[in-house]
Amino acid sequence: MDSSSAVATTFAAETVGLTKRYPLTWKRKVLVALDHLNLQIKPGEVFGLLGPNGSGKSTTIKLLLGLIVPSEGEARIFGLTPESLEARRRVGFLPENPYFYGFLNGDETLRFYGKLCGVTGAQLEKRVDELIDLVGLQNGRERPLRSYSKGMLQRIGLAQAMIHDPEILFLDEPTAGVDPLGSSQIRDLILSLKKMGKTVIFSSHLLEQVQEVADRVAIFSLGKKVLEGSLESLLTENQSTQINIPADLSAEQQERLRKAIGQAGIEDDKIRFTRPHLSLEQLYLRTVEGQVGSTTAQTPPK
Amino acid sequence: MIASLARIITIGRNTLTEAVRNKVLNVLLIFALVLVGSSVGVSQLATPGLDSSGLFDAQIKFVKDFGCGAIGLFGFFIALLSTAQLIPQELHNRTIYTILAKPVRRSEFLLGKFFGIVLLLALCVALMSLAFAATLYWQEIEGFHATEAAYATTTNWRSNPTIVNSYNHDIAEIVQQVRDPQLIEAVLLIFAKLIMTTGIALLISTFATSSIFTIITTFMIYLIGHMESTAREVWLASGASSSIWQSALVGLISLLIPDMNSFTIVDEILAGNKVPWSHTLNLLGYADVYLIVLLGVSIVVFDYREI
Repeated sequence: MDSSSAVATTFAAETVGLTKRYPLTWKRKVLVALDHLNLQIKPGEVFGLLGPNGSGKSTTIKLLLGLIVPSEGEARIFGLTPESLEARRRVGFLPENPYFYGFLNGDETLRFYGKLCGVTGAQLEKRVDELIDLVGLQNGRERPLRSYSKGMLQRIGLAQAMIHDPEILFLDEPTAGVDPLGSSQIRDLILSLKKMGKTVIFSSHLLEQVQEVADRVAIFSLGKKVLEGSLESLLTENQSTQINIPADLSAEQQERLRKAIGQAGIEDDKIRFTRPHLSLEQLYLRTVEGQVGSTTAQTPPK
Repeated sequence: MIASLARIITIGRNTLTEAVRNKVLNVLLIFALVLVGSSVGVSQLATPGLDSSGLFDAQIKFVKDFGCGAIGLFGFFIALLSTAQLIPQELHNRTIYTILAKPVRRSEFLLGKFFGIVLLLALCVALMSLAFAATLYWQEIEGFHATEAAYATTTNWRSNPTIVNSYNHDIAEIVQQVRDPQLIEAVLLIFAKLIMTTGIALLISTFATSSIFTIITTFMIYLIGHMESTAREVWLASGASSSIWQSALVGLISLLIPDMNSFTIVDEILAGNKVPWSHTLNLLGYADVYLIVLLGVSIVVFDYREI
């Protein structure tokens, strides 16, 4: 793979016919982990990779990072081969269920990864302080990582991924095993990265969270990309209209509203007054933050 | 080039830190205690007499044999066990992904890990040598006391020039035995052998799927390395009948598996025989060349490994 290839260089990450096969020698079979994937992710985008376990999400990330070699096709990071040091200077990576070195404390972990990226001296110390603040790990600076909780490990993982201020961040299941509050903090962190103009490519099973942060998503199944697009285009329900109004409507107000909607030519049995359902995560967060709900008037699909 | 070296050093230092914090060095404390304890045991068995210098010769010889043997044995286990788990542990904990996703070449990762084990072995051998030297020094003092006590049984021996000469001769022999500069050669050769063991284990671990496989295979190669020169001599000596294929096979084995037996020259040093520095340097050079080949092959194999 050379840089003079026809692949355009304007994309933060791009794959062309990217395929990964694993020969299962004993069974005389070949496992296709990823099948001819074409993806184009623009700089500054937050891109979600969705799909069940074993659908090819982590394989895609590993191929884009140059950690494994494709059986066919190619991957590019800003037009560079992922294995090149130049490409790796521009990416940060949080692996799924990271462990790191349990014998190092938080500060030492960040210094270790910083030195590998060529960040040294006062610049490194400044960066360590910034990132510890950013991920909220002040209580973990001196503690060895072997005593960290799952959520703390994810946060130090995010910090090490950002130590060299990369342009693209690959986050493989960043919220796996993290409690709802920690998960919400990671979501906020992704949003702040987006504001900073970073490209974030992440995989997650928390669909609601993906919906909150991703610009575009791709859904994988059995090693193939089966759907791709912006959340706006994929999630807009075109067969009904939802109107949000206050929750404390009297029966009389509801009747007047029903008549008004009826005057617009909508049949009475198509109008329903319902309360929207909250996800458990929303309920938890709203309870914690003391927020209130609302009532929804919805016209069901014709 | 400098950036590459800095990354290798960073990974190496981290590997050493891991070994130190995981209390590998506690093994050395046990070593020191065993060494000192065994010397005390030998001293208690000894019965000083007029020929005490001869007795102390045997005692000091025992301490030297035991000390060098223990440095080699403990070092071997530290080298083998530490190296065998280097890569499997990184893969199991997925820490390798976080490192290789950074601007780090696979070769730098591997060399860094090797460098870390070399640092660990250097530290271990240095500490064990210190314990060894301290035990020898203690034996020297014990030797002086025992010799003096043996001579003191003769009244007014200090006024008899012949006995004084004999006493001085005995003392000089103890000093010569204990402060033998050839012991430095012995420790260097033991260290070189440990580094070669590390190189072999590293190469195997680049394609092995478990630490156990690496440990067993390295151990087998280590044994074959000890036996190959003897086997070669026996085979070639017996053999007007040896075919060109047999010779080729013997040649291939001696090329693939380092001749560990040549390092048993340490036994000659411990027996008090003179081993010239040129021979020691030749052996160190042989170890270097083998190491470069082992590391080169390891880098190529690891480059192709699916992680």
